[in-house]
Amino acid sequence: MEKIIFVCLFVLTKLISSEIDVSNSTILQNKCLSCHKSGQIPDELIYRRYLMVYSTHERMENAIFMYMKNPDKKNSVMHHPFFFKFPMKNKSDLDDVTLHQMINAYLVKFDIKNKFTDIDK
Amino acid sequence: MLKSEKKSLIRFLLIYLLSTFLLFALAGIMFYSYETEHILDKQKDKLSHQAQKIKTQIRALHNTFDKALVYPASDVPESAIYDSDKNYIMGTYKQLKVLDEDKLEIQGNRLFYISKVEPYYLGAAYLLVTKEIDDTLLWELQKSIYLFMLIAGIFFLILGIFLGRLFIAPMRSSMEKMNRFIEDTTHELNTPIGTILANIEILESSDKYGASKELNRIEIASKTLSRIYDDLTYLTFNHKYNRCIEHLNVSDILEERIAYFASMSDIKQIKFDVNIEPSMYLDIDNNDLLRVIDNLISNAIKYNKLGGTIEVRLTNRSLLVRDTGIGISKTDIEVISQRFKRANDSEGGFGLGLDIINQIVMYYTYVLEINSTLKEGTTMEIRWKR
Repeated sequence: MEKIIFVCLFVLTKLISSEIDVSNSTILQNKCLSCHKSGQIPDELIYRRYLMVYSTHERMENAIFMYMKNPDKKNSVMHHPFFFKFPMKNKSDLDDVTLHQMINAYLVKFDIKNKFTDIDK
Repeated sequence: MLKSEKKSLIRFLLIYLLSTFLLFALAGIMFYSYETEHILDKQKDKLSHQAQKIKTQIRALHNTFDKALVYPASDVPESAIYDSDKNYIMGTYKQLKVLDEDKLEIQGNRLFYISKVEPYYLGAAYLLVTKEIDDTLLWELQKSIYLFMLIAGIFFLILGIFLGRLFIAPMRSSMEKMNRFIEDTTHELNTPIGTILANIEILESSDKYGASKELNRIEIASKTLSRIYDDLTYLTFNHKYNRCIEHLNVSDILEERIAYFASMSDIKQIKFDVNIEPSMYLDIDNNDLLRVIDNLISNAIKYNKLGGTIEVRLTNRSLLVRDTGIGISKTDIEVISQRFKRANDSEGGFGLGLDIINQIVMYYTYVLEINSTLKEGTTMEIRWKR
């Protein structure tokens, strides 16, 4: 009986968690990436640039959050010529929690680890 | 080659070879550690070069926007990349490793090279490159050193034997001269001693000189001389002498010899306390038996005090001679059976007696036991197996 309850709880947690991921991914697509797409902003290039400068997920998240809250060339890691081609975005109107969730979803979407093919194969 | 000569040569060779071996071993260890360092340095340089190559590949990979990225994997060397918090990102070497920046190190049989990656291509702040140490060269080096040591050992052994023989040549020459002198002297003494003893017997049987003190003294001196001659002959020609083992009545011979020494013991007023088991037989050479008995009794007389006693006991298990003389110290007992060693220099003699007894006892696998107390006396017992 206990085992059945445990398995049910586990499956439920997984479902909720994947639901949240899917929901975050959808919000990211609607609130951020759709606009990027129309403006032809290279999402992966930006990710790679932040990855090259900050290395870890947490540091990248904080750096992007800082930029979103105060969009400025000084707060960005992109080269100056990047802003000639792509305009400086407006300050984000999302609340902090949602913004963090969106940035996190963005970093997960382009995570470099997911792009590696399995070496053992 | 004489026994003492062989002993000296062996001692010299041991010291010479041991010191040579130590010197070569020390040089070998120093050479081995220097060469090992050199071989490892070469492998480290190679690893460092391979790390630079992987860094270039990582950089290229960072600028690739394909759907799938392939890590620059290879079996040798294995590698892994870590982020700036030292968390594992990707690689072929998956074991946990504490990262120290820009360091080459050896752990077990593996060589590790950790270098910083700047900027953080693919998020990598550290690159770890590792491979197993190629110990083939080390084995080759060890084999060469062992081979060299073996060849050098053989060479120095031959050289040592040659040098040793060269060094003991003067000693050998002196000993040969001494032995020749003793042989010649012994040979020359034979006739006069025989003549003296024969003439004393003739004089003793005549009425004119039969019981004179002077003749008695001459007889004692001649017998002493005769015994020394016998001892010298025994030692000098021992190696040329063929023993004739006979079934001898030891009891009779012992009694005869005690009577023979009576004139000598009378001078020092020494009394014999004789307890001889009758008809005790042993399989022994006659000359060997005489040398043992004569030396035991003459020593007991020589080192006894005036008016002392000599106890002679013969059983089917042993022959015991106990005197009441000066005794021998414990330290002297250990060296006294060597040739030319004497317990007390106040008495005459060459120190041959115990050496002869010892040689005979060893030849027949008997056991010689010496018990002595200083100023109280000495007991010498020869035991044989029955």
